[in-house]
Amino acid sequence: MLMAVLISNSVGNILVERFNGVPSEERLHWRSFLVKLGADNLQRASNEELFVASHKSVHIVYTVLGDVCIYIVGKDAYDELALAEVMFVITSLIKDACKKSPTERLFLDKYGKICLCLDEIFWKGIVENTNKERIKRLTRLKPPGEF
Amino acid sequence: MADSSGTTLMDLITADAPPPPSAASSTSSSATVSSTVASQPYQPQQVSSKTSLGERKSRRSSLLQIQSDTISAAKAALNPVRANIIPHHSQKQKKKPVSYAQLARSIHELAATSDQKSSQKQLVHHVFPKLAVYNSVDPSLAPSLLMLNQQCEDRSVLRYVYYYLARILADTGSQGLSPGGGIPTPNWDALADIDAVGGVTRADVVPRIVNQLTTEAMNSDVEFHARRLQALKALTYAPSSNTEILSKLYEIVFDILDKVADVPQKKKGMFGKGADKESIIRSNLQYAALSALRRLPLDPGNPAFLHRAVQGISFADPVAVRHSLEIISELAARDPYAVAMALGKLAAPGGALQDVLHLHDVLARVSLAKLCHSISRARALDERPDIRSQFNSVLYQLLLDPSERVCFEAILCILGKYDNTERTEERATGWYRLTREILKLPEPPSSSKDKSQKTRRPQPLIKLVMRRLESSFRSFSRPVLHAAARVVQEMGKSRAAAFAVGLQDIDEGVHVNSFSDTADSLDSDMNDDSHPEGIRKATSVSNLVGGKDTIASMLASLMEVVRTTVACECVYVRGMVIKALIWMQSPYESFDELKSIIASELSDPAWPATLLNDVLITLHARFKATPDMAVTLLEIARIFATKVPGKIDADVLQLLWKTCLVGAGPEGKHTALEAVTIVLDLPPPQPGSMSGFTSVDMVSASDPKSALALQRLVQAAVWFLGENANYAASEYAWESATPPGTALMMLDADKMVAAASSRNPTLAGALTRLQRCAFSGSWEVRILAAQALTTIAFRSGEPFRLQIYEFLHTLAQGGVQSQLSEMHLSNGEDQGASGTGLGALITPMIKVLDEIYAAQDDLSKEIRNHDNANKEWTDDELKKLYETHERLLDLVSLFCYVPRAKYLPLGPISAKLIDIYRTRHNISASTGLSDPAVATGISELIYESKPAPVEPDTLDDDLVSAWAANLGDAPAMNRVNEFLAGAGTDAPDVDEENIISRPSVSYDDMWAKTLLEAPELEEDDVRSSGSSSPESTGSVETSISSHFGGMNYPSLFSSKPSTYGASQTSERSRGGRFNSSSMSEGLGSPIREEPPPYSSPDRYESFENPLAGRGSQSFESQDDERVSSGNPKSGTALYDFTAGGDDELSLTAGEEVEIDYEVDGWFHVKKKRPGRDGKLAGLVPVLYVNQS
Repeated sequence: MLMAVLISNSVGNILVERFNGVPSEERLHWRSFLVKLGADNLQRASNEELFVASHKSVHIVYTVLGDVCIYIVGKDAYDELALAEVMFVITSLIKDACKKSPTERLFLDKYGKICLCLDEIFWKGIVENTNKERIKRLTRLKPPGEF
Repeated sequence: MADSSGTTLMDLITADAPPPPSAASSTSSSATVSSTVASQPYQPQQVSSKTSLGERKSRRSSLLQIQSDTISAAKAALNPVRANIIPHHSQKQKKKPVSYAQLARSIHELAATSDQKSSQKQLVHHVFPKLAVYNSVDPSLAPSLLMLNQQCEDRSVLRYVYYYLARILADTGSQGLSPGGGIPTPNWDALADIDAVGGVTRADVVPRIVNQLTTEAMNSDVEFHARRLQALKALTYAPSSNTEILSKLYEIVFDILDKVADVPQKKKGMFGKGADKESIIRSNLQYAALSALRRLPLDPGNPAFLHRAVQGISFADPVAVRHSLEIISELAARDPYAVAMALGKLAAPGGALQDVLHLHDVLARVSLAKLCHSISRARALDERPDIRSQFNSVLYQLLLDPSERVCFEAILCILGKYDNTERTEERATGWYRLTREILKLPEPPSSSKDKSQKTRRPQPLIKLVMRRLESSFRSFSRPVLHAAARVVQEMGKSRAAAFAVGLQDIDEGVHVNSFSDTADSLDSDMNDDSHPEGIRKATSVSNLVGGKDTIASMLASLMEVVRTTVACECVYVRGMVIKALIWMQSPYESFDELKSIIASELSDPAWPATLLNDVLITLHARFKATPDMAVTLLEIARIFATKVPGKIDADVLQLLWKTCLVGAGPEGKHTALEAVTIVLDLPPPQPGSMSGFTSVDMVSASDPKSALALQRLVQAAVWFLGENANYAASEYAWESATPPGTALMMLDADKMVAAASSRNPTLAGALTRLQRCAFSGSWEVRILAAQALTTIAFRSGEPFRLQIYEFLHTLAQGGVQSQLSEMHLSNGEDQGASGTGLGALITPMIKVLDEIYAAQDDLSKEIRNHDNANKEWTDDELKKLYETHERLLDLVSLFCYVPRAKYLPLGPISAKLIDIYRTRHNISASTGLSDPAVATGISELIYESKPAPVEPDTLDDDLVSAWAANLGDAPAMNRVNEFLAGAGTDAPDVDEENIISRPSVSYDDMWAKTLLEAPELEEDDVRSSGSSSPESTGSVETSISSHFGGMNYPSLFSSKPSTYGASQTSERSRGGRFNSSSMSEGLGSPIREEPPPYSSPDRYESFENPLAGRGSQSFESQDDERVSSGNPKSGTALYDFTAGGDDELSLTAGEEVEIDYEVDGWFHVKKKRPGRDGKLAGLVPVLYVNQS
């Protein structure tokens, strides 16, 4: 289960969050936990350097991309490595959407597009598409296999 | 958080948007709405601009009205709106937020003109992206979205429309908090209810959305099929609680699959080139259908469901294949037989499952591994070894997978780690399998497929795994390192299990290649968990085929790499590595290296407390797997206590002490106790007086917080020592064979100490430490130390009792500290009794000891008299003696638990006389005179001359043997269980039946009992008989500690608060409190290192509760009885909760609370002891508390 995908800016404001199967009263804790992780570790990190954390049986992979920090939380089949794959897809799509490493401004400008991409990468806590071309097709309302 | 994020996100909304004039006109919002949402600063306040449309009685009509209104409004206001929305790039004005209301309004308006290119452009570039920022979508937008959906042709617009429709469907609505993130939005339904938004709720629009999406999803028009895919996807967003939508979805999905699934598939690789349109469309539909099916609840018993899922494996679309494998692997976990039958030929060489091995989708291969594992280990397929070996071979092939994720999953599956249900046998077989089996690649069906086949020789699994892990540990990627360490940890678990179930003859020095040729014979045998002997037989036919690697040497080299990984700067990776090292630590190897690694690691301040406690729990789990390691683990735990006292949970540490002490066995007990007492030496009284850890200890206790924590640890240790020293030293007064020799009593103190330490060094050592604590500790520690000493005094035979007696005297009188060398180590506080301030506390203790000694003197005098005069003991004399015995017993019981039936305050010589009297008067040993039957003389009438019924004396000196019963939930605890079975105990009455009929003597009961009854515990008493059991003893120390806010700690003994005098008898009749429901949770419950799925975060309950919760109930219990005369509900904190306001209360998961009342989704609760914030009572969210 992919429990959460959070994207925050460099000072810890949440820009995007997608929770699944996390009770609303727990979300606050996850937010602060993740943002703290980022604040502690991402300051001097290089772009797309992957960080890992865990909490009980839950795995967390996070990274920084330009001005935004991305956190992915998963459990069961979505362990560190699976999350790292998802992270790779997300970062590369964000980069593509923003044309380069995103500043916060750029990210917000492309907010809608990024939301659509995320919507194709996973939904309902299950990872869907990891192929970049395919995701791009789907966000343009084209079928995955074109004729 | 939401607020601050709002700032940034509002920034987005402001982007390029000039101040909209229309907004001003619409701010005539009703005051009600503003006040409703005013609490959220970035609430779209102008939502209520719709009020002009919405003040209608009927929602239905309003719905239609909105649509028509929007159209007309749009037509009227098209130009101004466009002017508003279209960015004025030229003039960079001061930015003001575009309100939600404006966006909503624009959607309504633009929807009406969606045929125009400019409208579409605005929607795609300005309106929709900005709307995405809000965390939920107003249902009143649905009509316009649906209109767009029907009328607009633009793909980008439509994609957004599906996105928003899906979000409206997904929104559970109750909280107004969909998982969207971004700027908080109000609860639309609530707003609609007060008729502010126009009265449109989700309930109104969802059926319409579902209808429209359903129609689209069923539309088989070829040109429409891209939209069909999205419509189906949007439908799956509906909450699964909606059965109506669900059944509709099943219908659609199966309808699609009926049409597209049965057509024979072409081989893979058809994508892109040369594929015909028809097959591509089919493949797209297959994908969409399976992707929807994956989101639907499993339907295990349904053959159609299984059939379609199995068909999915052959589909061309890789994502579809993944989904179908995921579904099947979940089904296989429930019904492997049906799945295996359905898969049939697909698993055969050349079948579709083999193709998945080459599928470019990691998660699909991961699911394949799980599927293979489920089927190859299924007992239901015992009759079909051929099927099992097919799947087994696929599983082994996955070890060669290029992706670490897949390879690791395969390793975990082989190791027997499938989900969180840990079964030792499964794990043990897993280890056996890993170390003994061989991967033989099947002959590829076509020679062209695999060019390297010639180079692929059969390989022992262990070799492959070790190589793979070693290379992973050389990776720079933290996720890879973390995952690899996790795999090693699981290996350690399986290995420990293998040793625990008696596969010790796994000879790790054997050449791994020697099994190559037996692989075939193993294939079938291997899967059978229950016959390790069979497996062994098979492997013993080993013939040496080259190769020098032994399992031991490979493990050694792997562990070398693992150790170096400790150098990783990521603390989580390090934590995992340490856990892996702990698990791989064999009880027979030196653990110096591990110790030094942990010691140096802990000096790093970067470690978060949770992670450290995790490692502590790992130690616990390790102990459960291999009780032999108790001492080793205690030594490691000691490092935690000395290095990071401020970060570890004293309760967890104590539990570890306790279980390890019990598990350490006779020979390890001394070391175990030493490991605990080391805590008492911290912080050292004088810097430099201790070697080794000193400097670090000084540092760790230097900041106030850890000093406080250390203080707690010391208190815990003191208490622990008092309660358990006798057990550890195997020294009990009621076991002591030698009577208090008069010669011994005449010794002076120094000689007595020498005599004592030669007689029992363990106990002497404990006494020495406690004595020092009684002088040099803080106020709380001194109190606890005095209590602990008293407990030991009562429980020990001579000369220990005398030694303590003298010490207490000294303490009470003061001024003679020069006699006690330990006092020189005192940390500068005023020494002596006046300084200790313990006079008031220890006087009653001394009094009891005085009385005991006086009575013993009297008794020996009497005996001498009788002997000299050669006369029999009269009944009256015996009665007097017995009454003295009972009185002293009662007094002693006030201080600590002693087994009434065996304890002889008058010394061993009184045993015979008391026995005579008891037999004569049919007094049950365990109940004594307080038995109503005895008190009223009925017993004599009933039993006349029959011998007194011997009540099973279940609580004797070998209490542990009985208590350990519940520890033995893991086979690893065999040892304790054997102990329990009676070996070497003098507890003949502890038989099976007894344990069942009197659950009171189980380990956790004792545990809970120690922890002193809260009012509700006593209410739970179900024992009806008036006969009290030996457990019904009181203890004054508990009330004392309650007085001083002291703590209570688990003990192998128990005690119970009580008061002197009158209430005593009534207290006694509560013997059955063991049966209270709380006893079910306790130490005995399985403590698994691997947490259960996240959804049950209360996993720590099993061992936190007894400690954290009930452990400290005593000092509140009295107050409670006074204050809350009603019966307050109790509950358990499910999650950690941090107080957000003054009236709120922080909670730690697993904490016991008492619920006073509920108000607006909050409980007002009381805790048993103050938490981090020092508060005892306050508000917590209802959802955080599990009412019991």
